[in-house]
Amino acid sequence: MKLKDIAHARSGDKGDVSNICVFARKPEYYEIIRKVLTPEKVKEHFQGIVAGDIERYELPQVEGLNFVMHHALDGGATRSLRLDTLGKTMAAALLRMEIEYNGKTVDRNTCA
Amino acid sequence: MKTIRIGGGQGFWGDLNEAPVNIARNDAVDYIGCDYLAELTLSIMSRQKERNPQKGYAGDFVKVLKEILPLLKEKSIKLITNAGGVNVRGAVEAAKQAIKDSGLDLKIGYVLGDDVKDLIPELRKQGVRMENMDTGEPVDSILPTMVNANVYFGAEPIVECLRGGADIIITGRATDTALFLAPLAYEFGWRADDWDALSTGILCGHLLECGAQVTGGNYDFDWRAVPEPERLGYPIAEVSRPGQLTMTKTRNMGGLVTTQSVKEQLFYEIHNPEQYITPDVVADYSRISVRQTGQDHVLVEGVKGKARPDALKLCIGYTEGYRNTAYLPYGWPDALEKAQYAADILMKRLKKKNFLAEQVRIDYVGVNSLNGKLAHQIKEELNEVVLRMSVKTKTREEAEKLSPEIAPFILNGPPGSCFFGGGRPKPEEVFALWPTLIPRDAVKLQSFVEEA
Repeated sequence: MKLKDIAHARSGDKGDVSNICVFARKPEYYEIIRKVLTPEKVKEHFQGIVAGDIERYELPQVEGLNFVMHHALDGGATRSLRLDTLGKTMAAALLRMEIEYNGKTVDRNTCA
Repeated sequence: MKTIRIGGGQGFWGDLNEAPVNIARNDAVDYIGCDYLAELTLSIMSRQKERNPQKGYAGDFVKVLKEILPLLKEKSIKLITNAGGVNVRGAVEAAKQAIKDSGLDLKIGYVLGDDVKDLIPELRKQGVRMENMDTGEPVDSILPTMVNANVYFGAEPIVECLRGGADIIITGRATDTALFLAPLAYEFGWRADDWDALSTGILCGHLLECGAQVTGGNYDFDWRAVPEPERLGYPIAEVSRPGQLTMTKTRNMGGLVTTQSVKEQLFYEIHNPEQYITPDVVADYSRISVRQTGQDHVLVEGVKGKARPDALKLCIGYTEGYRNTAYLPYGWPDALEKAQYAADILMKRLKKKNFLAEQVRIDYVGVNSLNGKLAHQIKEELNEVVLRMSVKTKTREEAEKLSPEIAPFILNGPPGSCFFGGGRPKPEEVFALWPTLIPRDAVKLQSFVEEA
């Protein structure tokens, strides 16, 4: 299963920093995304795209996580050669992630 | 209990001109805020002003004014905008003319002093360091290519204009959030050190400043479910007291307001949720919760504030070479292979011209131009694909070497290509941004209120 199936997200930019806020589609999925989406896992996912550090902030009251990714936009919107200079599609790029929970692929029917 | 209703009429320069007019016409609000400025906007406006001293502001705002003025008068709505860009006086003159033409009696307020480009050499002499706040580098190397220098300022000078009776207020680089905090601070008499109250205004501004991004635009949760996306209702916030607000949207229009649409906007472009730094207050979003209280009504509560920072953010725009981007489509059969073959030929031809690039990027639109290496492998044969090559160079001449190389591929390259859009690709100036801090007292902001 892909992260997209249990989460929704939006990305934005400030200079060369891209942030992605990710929210559980149902409250019960929050614990899964919190466990699965470690900063290390997200860093590994964006290897070759995000050059800098990635910080994670937990937002339990809105069942979300906020990732702040440094050196993520090829210099930032003004100087980047990316088609998506603002990183509007970074959120979707994260939601592509294949996720496993407790050693097995998460099934939407079993984790509810 | 007194409730103030504020509409968010514009998410950026280029958003729908009809949006603020629709808020004024279809709903009952006290204020409308229109944010026109993104990080790059002031550099673009500065270049426009260099070519024509009458320009340098969001001209679209004047078009909006012409339509909205009678509604502002009839419904006693005040309009606050940072459309002034790098030419606040020019925008004010154009706005005054629009008001005169309308025959309405409306006062205009404006704020000057955020454009500090001409003061930079003097500030350097006084020992203001202006090191890059991200990298710590000294500023002097970029000053010869400086295009603009603007200080992000807060709500106070806008509140001054409201106290002076302004109906329409035009600023330059006021923060997006200040446009919305100002009317709340004015209406409720919030003290300049009531951090929790001020943070409520920041939250309000943050949720409204991107227009329809909170009412069904860019809605990842369920974009198919958005009613009437061709006529989205822009957002309205209702504020009665510090610490909470209700988000809704323009009535009798499309779009939606759900906990998910609010959450997606709530943390948009936020870094540390405990430290959303603005000139007015450091807002703490970490304990905010959202609750659906009715159809298209979401209660947002729990925002807190901490003391404002001592320094203001200054953003210097400067040039950093040129960028040129070309597109070349290929169709079935073997579309991707042909596009890759063309890219190879193109690189060989550029090499023959001794092309010196700082950076070259090759993507295939339809395959990997958005998600890069995260894009999944295409197993089936593509119907079509577009080669995209983007280059960055030190000089315009170097960037121009790419321009004449694309069209000949239609006759000379692999079979089955065509033009993508019109004409040869043109180099564009690359602007870079230098974020830094300067002491508050180095900036003299002045508020004015005048008859049109």
